[in-house]
Amino acid sequence: MQEQFRNQFGGGVKRLALVTFISVILGCFAPGVTAQVDVVKGRRSFGVSGFGGDAALAGQVTDVLKNDLRLSGYFALAPVISAEFVESGTVRGDHSGIVVECVVMQQATKKVVLSKAYQGSAQDLRRAVHKLSDDIVQALAGQRGIAQTKVAFVWARNGAKELAVMDYDGYNVRQLTYDRSISVRPRWSPDGRKIVYTSYKNLFPDVLEVDLYTGQRKRLASFPGLNTGAVYSPDGQTIALTLSKDGNPELYTMDAQGGDLRRLTHTRAGESSPTWSPDGQTIAYVSDESGVPQVWAINKDGGVATRLTVSPSYNTEPDWSHPPANSDMKPMLAVTSRVGGKFQIGVCQLGTSIAQPVVADSADNEDPSWAPDGRHLIFTKTQRWRSQLYLLDVVTGEQVQLPAIEGGVSEAAWGP
Amino acid sequence: MRKTYLARFILVGLIGTLGLTGCHHTRNTGATAPGNGETPVPGLNGVGTTEVGGRPTGLTDLQHGQFAPVLFDYDSARIRPSEESKLEAVAAYLKANPGKLVIEGHCDERGTAEYNRALGERRALAARDELVKLGIDASRISTISYGSERPADPGHDEAAWAKNRRCEFVAVPQ
Repeated sequence: MQEQFRNQFGGGVKRLALVTFISVILGCFAPGVTAQVDVVKGRRSFGVSGFGGDAALAGQVTDVLKNDLRLSGYFALAPVISAEFVESGTVRGDHSGIVVECVVMQQATKKVVLSKAYQGSAQDLRRAVHKLSDDIVQALAGQRGIAQTKVAFVWARNGAKELAVMDYDGYNVRQLTYDRSISVRPRWSPDGRKIVYTSYKNLFPDVLEVDLYTGQRKRLASFPGLNTGAVYSPDGQTIALTLSKDGNPELYTMDAQGGDLRRLTHTRAGESSPTWSPDGQTIAYVSDESGVPQVWAINKDGGVATRLTVSPSYNTEPDWSHPPANSDMKPMLAVTSRVGGKFQIGVCQLGTSIAQPVVADSADNEDPSWAPDGRHLIFTKTQRWRSQLYLLDVVTGEQVQLPAIEGGVSEAAWGP
Repeated sequence: MRKTYLARFILVGLIGTLGLTGCHHTRNTGATAPGNGETPVPGLNGVGTTEVGGRPTGLTDLQHGQFAPVLFDYDSARIRPSEESKLEAVAAYLKANPGKLVIEGHCDERGTAEYNRALGERRALAARDELVKLGIDASRISTISYGSERPADPGHDEAAWAKNRRCEFVAVPQ
């Protein structure tokens, strides 16, 4: 790897290094303002005129569509008469299935920018509309939407912690485990079929994997000591995780079947909470090697560890965004920072080492997880010791609380 | 192109950190500047290089109360000198009786969940390492970190949190 470094750098390195050095120094003295990622495009006005056909179904379809468009961040819902884009459509259905037809037109030019029909079972109405919403985002904003995505999370129920999955908008909550134990730290496989997580159902903390389609469960890591923090690489072939079996919590990788175990770190400090770079070559993680927990990075094959964050003085739970190749968003790290005893969500742009706060208020805000669009993230907000899940659009800075879930919720992981 | 970007990013991060702290970067050789109040032991690669003992078989739950829990400072896995006598009591029992020991590591409710699992484990291993120094075979000792999932005191104040930052010791027959 050292050879590659030398070959790829020219004279610009010295200037880059100087600029970075100055930026880091200045950044440390900058006031802690709530930062917004630069707005790439403003919201465009969109008028929803509704759907003809079955009145009851039309109401549901309109509600789901409006919520999706609002949450996407690309649109401002506006009266039909003045909006830049206008929707019209019909929905028909019975017990055997539903059909949603939709046309979106640019009012000024009368140009039809979308004309599509969606079929589904009667129970799948929301899914059909989510597909429509994503198609609108793609057609009008040229970006990948999130309306069809799902979120896994930890649900505190009856003195236990179980895993659950729901639609990104908080609907269709489905409990995955019924172990009456502790099931935590879920992470999705890149194909969305499996979730790897930490389970105490055999008393000791193990890494298990559940197949969402078959319900089958597999034990991937049950070494002496701690087995936790498992996370799939972007190609799904490798899992990074935290094991303490050699005497200290350290970073390891194994293949997706739980074999080929390799140790990456060898420090006196504790390592935890790995997350993968988009190209699958680097793993960011937490270490208190410097005396306080900060985010570090290491090549997936091991080697020299590099510190990624220096400020604030406590940064944990990094999540590395993987925006699509054609996206306006760049890959960056979301973290949980602790400032003045309170927890904030921070974003660390690559090439800087400061986590800028994006959610900082009187609550504790923790455990960010990026959506696959690299623009939204989900996190846990705890106020007066009660926790709920919120979505954040890092471009607009807008937070949205998801529909309340009874009991405690935490450790959300956004699916592919 | 991606490799250049990534390589540059890593180099920038490295330079930025060096520029800011002026310290040598820590390599993964195990040698580290002291943190958490620990003193490096000369000649030793560092604490926590002894494998964790295998799990006791047939265990479904753990009974607490036989030993006093060892308590910890906030954000720390350091064994306070005032807690040593509790570890001596555990060691004395294990010398007099066969069987294994499970050490649970716990955190107070503050702090992020996964980091707390690692911190809880470091507390359990710190207690384990002290027992090894007192003459107990490491292979008799296994660890379970519960992070902040199993508080001793459900309160939300300093008094409760101080009780929750702890290790519990459970002697098991095998």
